[in-house]
Amino acid sequence: MDEPGVWIPFSLLLAAGPLALLPPAVSGFSPSLDSDFTITLPAGLKECFYQPMPLKATLEIEYQVLDGAGLDIDFHLASPEGKTIVFEQRKSDGVHSVETEAGDYMFCFDNTFSTISEKVIFFELILDNMGEQEQEQEDWKKYVTGTDMLDMKLEDILESINSIKSRLSKSGHIQTMLRAFEARDRNIQESNFDRVNFWSMVNLGVMVVVSAIQVYMLKSLFEDKRKNRT
Amino acid sequence: MAGVWARRLRAAMWHRALLLALAGFGFQGLYFHIGETEKRCFIEEIPDETMVIGNYRTQLWDKQTETFLPSTPGLGMHVEVKDPDGKVVLSRQYGSEGRFTFTSHTPGDHQICLHSNSTRMTIFAGGKLRVHLDIQVGEHTNNYPEIAAKDKLTELQLRARQLLDQVEQIQKEQNYQRYREERFRMTSESTNQRVLWWSIAQTVILILTGIWQMRHLKSFFEAKKLV
Repeated sequence: MDEPGVWIPFSLLLAAGPLALLPPAVSGFSPSLDSDFTITLPAGLKECFYQPMPLKATLEIEYQVLDGAGLDIDFHLASPEGKTIVFEQRKSDGVHSVETEAGDYMFCFDNTFSTISEKVIFFELILDNMGEQEQEQEDWKKYVTGTDMLDMKLEDILESINSIKSRLSKSGHIQTMLRAFEARDRNIQESNFDRVNFWSMVNLGVMVVVSAIQVYMLKSLFEDKRKNRT
Repeated sequence: MAGVWARRLRAAMWHRALLLALAGFGFQGLYFHIGETEKRCFIEEIPDETMVIGNYRTQLWDKQTETFLPSTPGLGMHVEVKDPDGKVVLSRQYGSEGRFTFTSHTPGDHQICLHSNSTRMTIFAGGKLRVHLDIQVGEHTNNYPEIAAKDKLTELQLRARQLLDQVEQIQKEQNYQRYREERFRMTSESTNQRVLWWSIAQTVILILTGIWQMRHLKSFFEAKKLV
């Protein structure tokens, strides 16, 4: 049992007493510790995101390029002091994990090397060991009504429920990863399809034009000779 | 890869930040900077009948104190959400701090775009706007304290309800995945078929063109009395 981890929340709760009665929507929002985003990055632009971190936490970033010619992007991760931790060029996916200091970490996706193609990038942030912002389980005790009458100890049931919940979260995470991979493969296939159509049409046009030119040129050669004779 | 999943298991256990006690201190989540006319778009690929809730908070750069002000009245953000067919689902203005919600009716890529609506140019004047953003999808949008109060649930019932919602979301996502995979397979098969037919057609056209050329030229030479 993580004693400080349980008691700090309670003391803070007492300090923020009145606020505790407000529904969460009114009192501002607390983002979850895992988040993923899919962004579009137009050609020639660089976009940066910032993540505040406490000391001795773990920040893990995973990114994948889903669409856009070449499927590659430059990635840059900098510490709160501005020191470059990771700098990757023209990569199509990557995973990076850092042990953090306190401050705002900046990570950037750079599409300046591309002149016409817009990239679609999927990235995921996983934050670990966030300190006093964590709680081992949601403290729903104050919202429930009634008690449960059971043969088993409630704690054992809650433990297996927690285990189920974390396994389901893991399934959800795996689904997100699969979705990103599939989206990328699908985009590759759709661009293949368009390319096959386009170049087939071009091929047909070129063949017809070339054969017509050949016939016309041969004919014109002979017509000139005829004129010269007479 | 196994180490990554073990870490994720631990991360999933330390899931929710303290909701209320931290409200007064402001949360610490992902943020980015946006210029005055800039528009930032995020894509959410979701199955149908899925609820999405987005929360954002803006801070304006103050040139005098060289810090970001805690909040800026009068400065709002315009949020526009488009469904996979390009139709606008939500297009609304919100204040400097806001929460937008929409539910998808078709599965696919929904695009969420944010840009600031500052009417007074002097507010920005070369500065930047810091936007904190958090987007929750599907089961994560459920407010369990509210559900417990509304349905008068005991703790076990509430936890069972949460597990059921989680499983339902995973099942919905799997169904959507099956539909996407089918589309993907159809595109691949169509591409393969087109490549095959086009190669055959190209060969036939070349042969026919060759034959026509020879015959045409032969009759041309015969007409001109060269052969």
